[in-house]
Parts: sequence; structure tokens; C-alpha cells
Amino acid sequence: MPAYELALLLRAMPKGELKKTLTRISHAIFNRGGIIRNIENLGFRAMPYKTSSHGLVHREANYYVFKIDTATQSVADLKEEYSRDVDIIRQRVFKMNENMQSSPCTLAEELLPPAYREEVQKMVEVGKTQVNRFTYKFKYNSGLDYYPFQK
Amino acid sequence: MALLKSFILRNVFLTTHRAIVSTIRPSSNAPLVEDDDAPVDIENPFKKEKVQCILCKLNIVPDYKNYRLLSQFQSPYTGRIYGRHITGLCKTKQTLVEAEIRKAQNCGYMPYYYKDKTFLKDPKLFDPENPIRSHRF
Repeated sequence: MPAYELALLLRAMPKGELKKTLTRISHAIFNRGGIIRNIENLGFRAMPYKTSSHGLVHREANYYVFKIDTATQSVADLKEEYSRDVDIIRQRVFKMNENMQSSPCTLAEELLPPAYREEVQKMVEVGKTQVNRFTYKFKYNSGLDYYPFQK
Repeated sequence: MALLKSFILRNVFLTTHRAIVSTIRPSSNAPLVEDDDAPVDIENPFKKEKVQCILCKLNIVPDYKNYRLLSQFQSPYTGRIYGRHITGLCKTKQTLVEAEIRKAQNCGYMPYYYKDKTFLKDPKLFDPENPIRSHRF
């Protein structure tokens, strides 16, 4: 089962209701054979932009991030279920990338003058194989018995 | 007569030259003196340190939940993401930062058109007025 991150914005509500909503959200995951690794509460704060959902305009939200392991097929199912939940203002699912190989920093090569940069050298090599449109001149001895362009 | 004279002269010259060379050339069995003042092989002491971008140097992977860090790469006036010529990041990190900012904005963590006013006094990582490469405009 791949790992996913579920970023949820829940509407402003009293603590008891919030608890009920969170259990409802997690039960939806459990019912589809998923597991929750971690629940992060990023707090209750004003949203950077107002959002309308389920006929209401929200300016504040409870920010939650669920780290879950679930089957790929059930993700769309979960999204659909959460989209019907009136307490959820916004939901986003991201795939977690655990094996992020940190490639070495290439800033030193990027700061070189253009002639020394590898990509520029490649570009020059490619340019040499192309026909230069500015200096190309049609040759009349090409075997054609007519001039192929407009005169 | 003249030919003979020149021949003798040349011969003499050749032999004397050989004699001189043999006296100058040092004998092979003379002890080699270790010169402690001789140049030694060391690495170039003036070699410049390899420049790294700030995220690679501090080994930071940008994350959409860390919107405070991401907001430092955003213009306080328009909320637009600064380019690579301003931020001084390497290509991979810049693309990562841009992707994570988009994610954070989409999730409702970060505004699109301005910078969060609580982060306005955060330390500056770079100066937009002095880019590494000149602006297009």
C-alpha cells in the first residue's frame, strides 16, 4: 500500500463536533482497509483566502494532515466521500515520496559562463547539425528540373 | 694546405670539447643531497570552495507544510515566486520550491496574491534588487 498525505481543512466548530468529524474521517479510511500512520494538527487559523463550500463561506479553518497507507483504488473513493462531507472545506491528497535522493548541488556548474555550461555546449552541437536558415541558399544543381519555391 | 689546417683545427676542437665535458659531468657515485627547500607536491591552496545553494548547504527539502520557509521565496508585493536568478537556488531545488509553493497555495496554506503579513519581517535569503543574472525587464 502506498503512503499518502491527506491535507484537510475542516470548518470552524466546537471541540466535540471536531472530534466526531475526525473519527468519521478516520473510519472512512479504516473501512477501506487503510491505516493511519500519523495525524498532524496544524491548528485553527484564518485562511489566506475565503473559500465557499456546501453553500457557506469560510474564512477560518482547522488544518489537519493525515498520513495514511491505503490502496490506490480507494483514494478516489475516499475523495468522493469527503467531498460529500459538509465539515470538510477543502481536501487534497498527495503521494508521499519517501526515497527522495538528494542529488548534489549543481549551482557551481550553473554559474559558469555560458561557453563552459554543458547544456549550452550541447545546444551548440545540435545547432551545428541543423541547416542555418539565414545563410542557406538553394542550390540549382539539386536534380530538380523546376524551382521549388516562389520567385 | 688550408684544408689540412682546418682539419687539424676542427679535430683539436672536438677533442678538447670532449675533455671539458668529461670534467664538468659529475660522477654518478656522488651522494645526492636532500634539498629540504625543494618544492613539494600539495593540493592547490587557492582552489575556491564549491558554491552550493542555501537549501543544499543546509540540507533542507522544501515541504508544502512548511509555508513559512516557502513564503521567503515569494514577493511581498505580488505573491509571485521569485526566479532562479534571484533566489540563487540550484535547478532541482528551485523546481521543488516552486512545486511546493503551488501545493501550499492550493491547499489553503499560503496566499496567492500577497505574502502573509506575519512573515513580512522574516530574514531575507536574497536581495531581489541584486540578482545573480540581470532581470529580463
